[in-house]
Amino acid sequence: MRRVWAVATNTIRQALRMKVAAIFIVLLLVLLPVMGYTASGDGTLKGRLQTFVSYGLSLTGLLLSLLTIIVSVYSVTSDIEHRQIYTVVTKPIRRYQLILGKLLGVIVLDVALLTLFAGIVYGFVVLTPRFAKATEEELTQIENEFFTARASLVPPQIDVSKEVDELYAKLLANDQLETAYPNSTPEEIRKYLSSRLRLEKRAAAVGQMLVWEFRDVHPTDPNRQSLFIRFKYDVSVTPPDEQVYGDWRIGDLRGLQTGNPVDTPVWRVPRKDPVRKFREIEVPASAVAKDGYLAVGFANPPWNSTVVLFPVEDGLEVLYKADTFLGNYIRGALLILLRLVFLACLGVMAASFLSFPVAILFCLVIFVTGATSGGIIESFGYMSRNVNLVYKYTIETIIQLLPQFDKASPTQFLIPARLITWSLIGRVVLVMVCIKATLLLALALIIFSFRELAKVVV
Amino acid sequence: MDYAIETVALTKIFSDWWGRAKVYAVDDLNLQVRPNEVFGLLGPNGSGKTTTIKMLLGLLHPTKGHAVILGGDGTDPKISARIGFLPEESYLYRFLNARETLDFYGRLFGLDSKTREMRIEALLEMVGLRAVASRPVGTYSKGMARRIGLAQALINDPDLLILDEPTTGLDPIGTRQIKDLIIKLAERGKTVLLCSHLLADVEDVCDRIAILYGGKVQAHGRVGDLLQKTNKRQIVTDAISDATADRIREILKQEHAECEISSPMERLETFFINTVVAAQQQAMPTSGAFSTTQIGGFLAGGVDKGDILDKLVAAPVSEKAQAGPVRTDRPQPQETVTPEPNKDLLSKLTQPATSSPAEPAEPDSEQPAQAVPETTVQQEQARKSILDELTGRKQPDGSTVRPSDDPREDGGDA
Repeated sequence: MRRVWAVATNTIRQALRMKVAAIFIVLLLVLLPVMGYTASGDGTLKGRLQTFVSYGLSLTGLLLSLLTIIVSVYSVTSDIEHRQIYTVVTKPIRRYQLILGKLLGVIVLDVALLTLFAGIVYGFVVLTPRFAKATEEELTQIENEFFTARASLVPPQIDVSKEVDELYAKLLANDQLETAYPNSTPEEIRKYLSSRLRLEKRAAAVGQMLVWEFRDVHPTDPNRQSLFIRFKYDVSVTPPDEQVYGDWRIGDLRGLQTGNPVDTPVWRVPRKDPVRKFREIEVPASAVAKDGYLAVGFANPPWNSTVVLFPVEDGLEVLYKADTFLGNYIRGALLILLRLVFLACLGVMAASFLSFPVAILFCLVIFVTGATSGGIIESFGYMSRNVNLVYKYTIETIIQLLPQFDKASPTQFLIPARLITWSLIGRVVLVMVCIKATLLLALALIIFSFRELAKVVV
Repeated sequence: MDYAIETVALTKIFSDWWGRAKVYAVDDLNLQVRPNEVFGLLGPNGSGKTTTIKMLLGLLHPTKGHAVILGGDGTDPKISARIGFLPEESYLYRFLNARETLDFYGRLFGLDSKTREMRIEALLEMVGLRAVASRPVGTYSKGMARRIGLAQALINDPDLLILDEPTTGLDPIGTRQIKDLIIKLAERGKTVLLCSHLLADVEDVCDRIAILYGGKVQAHGRVGDLLQKTNKRQIVTDAISDATADRIREILKQEHAECEISSPMERLETFFINTVVAAQQQAMPTSGAFSTTQIGGFLAGGVDKGDILDKLVAAPVSEKAQAGPVRTDRPQPQETVTPEPNKDLLSKLTQPATSSPAEPAEPDSEQPAQAVPETTVQQEQARKSILDELTGRKQPDGSTVRPSDDPREDGGDA
């Protein structure tokens, strides 16, 4: 361990003294404050904070990612290229210890720099409302919608497989399959049918009421906090003014069914909202029943002349404060750190057998792919019909091995003040670090342990 | 017997991209280096010396055969903890200074901080880089980098020292000092594998040599055996008159032997060192040329060196080294090493105001007279100031020592 640490400190020294890290540090030290002053967002205080957190953390994450790639690759390849490795591996240190030392050095550097810059961003975010001339209303708004960490509850997906089977059998019996879905495989038809049926469950015809039930809702302080119902309407016929009326009931609606009185208040909120736009309804958190039960009901009033739908993916969710902003922010920084750990492993793996420029290129390709994995997977999804088998056993496997940074980006949680759950972090640790990064590291150790380190010179 | 290094049919073939054999860098090499000997591996450029060393240390994998080093594998930490290695160039981390460099290597050996500190100071003193120890080694000249390279090879007090072209980039004084160091280390029971194409280096210090060409051993054996002309005898005398010379010729004629009488030439190395020392003692203004002699403290032939080496080398001169059958006979000092004038030189380098002004053994007539210092403190100051002067460093009190400081004043007094 002492030897590993010796290599680690040497790597940190190298990064700092060879000015590799210095460039990134200076860049961030200049850019972050500039952003702090110039970020304006949509003009409101909340928008300004959201923009700054988003850009500040993204920039920090991006630059530290690049720094991690460069330092981890450089510290290994330069040793080989400039042959300091001759004097190092001939000392009583195993080659894997050398690689682990390099990795440790990069990670320690990352932790230090991330703490520094995430701290600077946090400082700016916390101080901005004090120096901005904000109204009382704006301050309350950011307190509720930005400086918080809201847990999100989405209605569980309804199991429609049975109904799909029935419907499919019916279509098959009536010989309507081919006419309704020409040129489709049975799987595709089932997929289509199930999404149609799911949407039907979330559609309210005129005069009908939809009820979603949630259990295990536990706001930190029910008497002072609020619940937020975040929803998006879709309609079958768009009204002339693109507005839809809604009659919402929020609380313990079990009383309505059984007729028994309930202890907690039930809030009735009539509203008029634009379609296809996210809106939030705020009600006091005391609406949640003592046993953590909460129901949200939406009635489609008769004066709407359209069916109202809630899109399956993001049509409705319930948000409530589950943690402080700081706690959430720290978990966000942790997500960035996990990404950096992965990149450091990737860097030493590439450097264990590639020269500096090739290894950098390799890492950057993986990094960019990982940062846009959603789009790439989607694009492959479209071509999968024709090359299904080939795709399934080659590209899909490779894509599964690639990192998916965009799915664990902290800004997508911090901007809407969503709770970054420990279970998400656990998942990222398991998949990205314990499986993918460890695989890369093992590969690096094996390659590096068995390769010839001296150049062929005759 | 257990050899310090043994290679069995060691072969390295460099192949092209298709795997076809291109070059036999090392071809069926069988080397045996005995413990506690200085073994020289000679050969022209590209003869496979460095490749052999790289295979010994595991930096290259042999195509065929294997190497045993200190009874094991060179990559085993237990073995490599006992090896000191100086590669053909001192590949150093340019961003570290000398002290940090040595500290880093010391930590790789798992030495505790106290041992490291002690050894680093001793080594810096020995290689004469203490004054510049806080400068990044990237700014060092080649000779200075070589010295740090040597220091890192010694930090673990190795049993086996593998030196690849140790004297490249060094001036004659530095070369001399490295050679003296090798001899001293061998006396203390170390094994040294010296790899060089500078024949003078090898001849001066090696017990046995092997000459490589094309990856094969072309000749090997004791230096003395290989070089001694058994059918010739040499007599060296003080200056004698021509008449006496004629009489000697007469006597030899009776034995039917030819003889040649001439004045022996001084070795250029000795002459060079004497000249530099003389110039130094006159305290001529320093210029770039002096930077090479700044290793004054390095390998001080007398007391200093002994102290440092004893500190560094835990084992005293071993009995094996003195009497063991293993020990091959060292070339006679008269033949190769010139210890007497050299010792004077080194003591002068370290103690410019030495208390013995006579220097009878010194044939150089340019030798200036020297003042006798009052106290040893003054001696120490004078020694330091010379080192500082050579390196252009400042004194600890901040004042720059001008080239014309103490030594010239002493000379003036005299």
